[in-house]
Amino acid sequence: MSSQDDGVSRRTFLGAAGGAAVTVGLAGCSGTDDGSDGSDGGDGSDGSDALLRYGRGSHSSTLDFQNSTSGEVAKVTEQIYDTLINFEPGESTLTDGLASDYSLDGQTASLTLKEGVTFHNGEEFTAQDFVATYRRFVDSEYEYYAGDDYVSAYGPFTLGSWIDDIQVDGDYEMTIQLTQTYAPFLRNLAMFAAAVHSEAAIEEFGTDLSENAVGTGPFELDTLDDTNEQIRLTAYDDYWGDGPQVDEVVFVTVGENSTRAQSLASGELDVIDGIGAQSSQQVSNADGVELVRTDGINVGYMAFNITAVEEFQDRRVRQAISHAIDTEAIVEQIYSGFATEASQPLPPNVLGHNDDIDPYEYDPERAQSLLEEAGYGDGFSFELATFQNPRGYNPSPIQTAETVSSNLGEVGIDVEINQQSFSPFLEYTAQGRHDACFLGWYTDNADPDNFAYVLLHPQVDEGELSDGQDWVSFDAEGYNTSNRASWANQEYMDLVEEAQRTTAESDRAALYNEAMRIAHDEAPWVYLDYAEELRGVADRVSGFQIAAISGPYLNLVSLE
Amino acid sequence: MFPKRFVLKRLLLLVPVLLGVATLVFSILHLSPGDPALTIAGERASQEFVERIRADLGLNDPIWVQYIDFLGKVARFNFGESYVINRNTTVREIMANTLPVTLELALYGQLFGVLFGIPLGVLSAVKQDTLTDHATRVGALAGISVPIFWSGPLLILLFAQVLGVLPTSGRISSVYNVAAIRTTGMVTVDTLIAGEWEMFRSAVKHMFLPSIVIGVYSTALISRMMRSSMLEVVRQDYMRTARAKGQGAKITVLKHGFRNALIPVVTIIGIQFGGLLGGAVLTETVFAIGGIGTLLVEAIRVGDYPIVQGTVLTFALLFTLVNLAVDVTYSYLDPRIQQ
Repeated sequence: MSSQDDGVSRRTFLGAAGGAAVTVGLAGCSGTDDGSDGSDGGDGSDGSDALLRYGRGSHSSTLDFQNSTSGEVAKVTEQIYDTLINFEPGESTLTDGLASDYSLDGQTASLTLKEGVTFHNGEEFTAQDFVATYRRFVDSEYEYYAGDDYVSAYGPFTLGSWIDDIQVDGDYEMTIQLTQTYAPFLRNLAMFAAAVHSEAAIEEFGTDLSENAVGTGPFELDTLDDTNEQIRLTAYDDYWGDGPQVDEVVFVTVGENSTRAQSLASGELDVIDGIGAQSSQQVSNADGVELVRTDGINVGYMAFNITAVEEFQDRRVRQAISHAIDTEAIVEQIYSGFATEASQPLPPNVLGHNDDIDPYEYDPERAQSLLEEAGYGDGFSFELATFQNPRGYNPSPIQTAETVSSNLGEVGIDVEINQQSFSPFLEYTAQGRHDACFLGWYTDNADPDNFAYVLLHPQVDEGELSDGQDWVSFDAEGYNTSNRASWANQEYMDLVEEAQRTTAESDRAALYNEAMRIAHDEAPWVYLDYAEELRGVADRVSGFQIAAISGPYLNLVSLE
Repeated sequence: MFPKRFVLKRLLLLVPVLLGVATLVFSILHLSPGDPALTIAGERASQEFVERIRADLGLNDPIWVQYIDFLGKVARFNFGESYVINRNTTVREIMANTLPVTLELALYGQLFGVLFGIPLGVLSAVKQDTLTDHATRVGALAGISVPIFWSGPLLILLFAQVLGVLPTSGRISSVYNVAAIRTTGMVTVDTLIAGEWEMFRSAVKHMFLPSIVIGVYSTALISRMMRSSMLEVVRQDYMRTARAKGQGAKITVLKHGFRNALIPVVTIIGIQFGGLLGGAVLTETVFAIGGIGTLLVEAIRVGDYPIVQGTVLTFALLFTLVNLAVDVTYSYLDPRIQQ
């Protein structure tokens, strides 16, 4: 009986399985038929022509600019939100944003805000919105403070450390008192992290603003789709500025560079970023698309940990190594020419870059003689720490490290490469455990202080410094671990601090020019490269402005 | 008859398995380099900021306190919030978004494997040592040997670039807002339920190449297993008896041989499905389909511990459940196995 029952069940089971298989098989065949008709092959061209499709490598799962330091998040929030001051599209100069007038005089920033600007929820923008946004970011006393474990490091870095008080006079006049004279402050107000939330939205949604983004920008949030890694925005008709000229924007995530380039070439995407050397070839060779490039605002370098390695404490050794490394070959061959050789910490398109300084010339003989002069003619050895994953300023870190190792081997210096993934690498080098390391920097605000002070100033009290030595330990109280070289050159520090307090542009430029001369000659880093920005743009797109900072300015884009 | 005791016993065995996996994951993550607080804070953060985050996360607590806390969370299947990939969102929510993506891909891959692998295996066994058999075996060998990161881009190049008949990447055209009709998270199912035929067509076309790429390996493996299993069965006495009774060759193979030969193949299908869930990573990467495999790899890369813990344990759970399903299927195919 039982056996018979089981027999029936098994038959039913197998029969059902077979039936299902046939059904799915038919579905599969119909899929094939549909697929081969070609009408949807270049998928997407069948859709609305007012939809702009922007392809990139990573999704932004938060759309709250106070919750992230990620550039991917910024790409989307720049469309939804506005800052008080903007970067001119494609330039690093400032222009008005939500503020029609702005100035910095000593420790006081005065701003007049635009009238008649509305948020996507219909509320009118006033100074109170900025105050609420600021307090949500940095003020733990505020009822709607987002919390220590929520806000990004940009809270203190951009605003909190510099703002003492904000006074509001009516709805449209605002005075910000700074803790000290800080020349880059207005540029900090142009950073994506200093954008403005609606006070009403803050009070309604608290820390749940990501899916409820309410800004004053050219596009409104339609859908944040984490499953398909897409973000859809629709045009905001009451936008106060130029555009938008398309009805919809969708940010599409395609992780692989080559797949992304293929999607652009086949018409599935309109604009792509994050293009490496190989995929730039794909874009260049494809019909109907163009590779657009511009100088970036970044620097790639190899930092000497001067405290850790005795040999590095002699600047002749640092200069010798700078001469021994063939940076031209690295830039031309490994980075495929999509970068230029660096000569100093500041890239050429930033105020204070010293045009009179050339990159260290590749000269092994000069390197050898400098080493002999310093008493290290027989060479020595050190460990070079590097991350493994490509970064914009160093697209092939391992290959670069191998080139450095081979170049230095020719002058008797033995380099042991220590490769790590990025997160442990950052920790390792922030603790000063490296002898030397690769790293780089993309600017936050295109201000020279964002390179010169952030990356090469130790930021410790004077008591921590010793006379006659231009380095300081990573263990010093309050040490700025972004200075991976542990360099503490008093003359350089004085110039950079003075430049921070100087608001007249020409005076600042002169101070940084001099600081760059010192940074070049003292060589706390081997200056590797300034990387270019690359985008792939379909021919049907017009008005796309490639920008090294801020943007993309999708409000200016139209489709043919 | 549903084997209740058998299933219950197997379900209870899940507990030590998951505890072991949880302990292993916890240990590996805490022994590996990388500071989660620094990861969260990012490059721009001051030491003070990093310290504040470390304290908030409880990373200054003794390791055993952290372990007990972790086990408590595992018991509730609550892994906390993501550190980096999707800050301040629960891992459960993130996995609910990504798991259907991988499941859909793995299901289609498996269906492809079963639909083609089983008939090919049977055919190969029945026509042993003929040209058909040799061709099937060489094809199977190639299917197992060709890596996805090679076959995927090549197929994209052929079908999307050269022929222009299939899309390059994604699960559905970006023209469509599939999130608006989400019910299961599986794009072909959701579009079907919503009756959006244009969207369904786009979804099928997008899933076609990834399913083939991931399914080819299954097809190859299943056909090889089916062939050898079938060859063994056709030599059995009862097969000879059936033939001696005058039953036709086709009936003998299908009625007596096929079902008996299926048992080891079902095992392979089960194990293979578990493998597909993890193995989908490459396919997901090549075709820009962000499933749970990609999520795990990204979480390991950026040091997002809660996501790593959540996804690994979910994989372990799914794998054991699939194996349980395989065992239950056995008992249907051959009732002696329950004893």
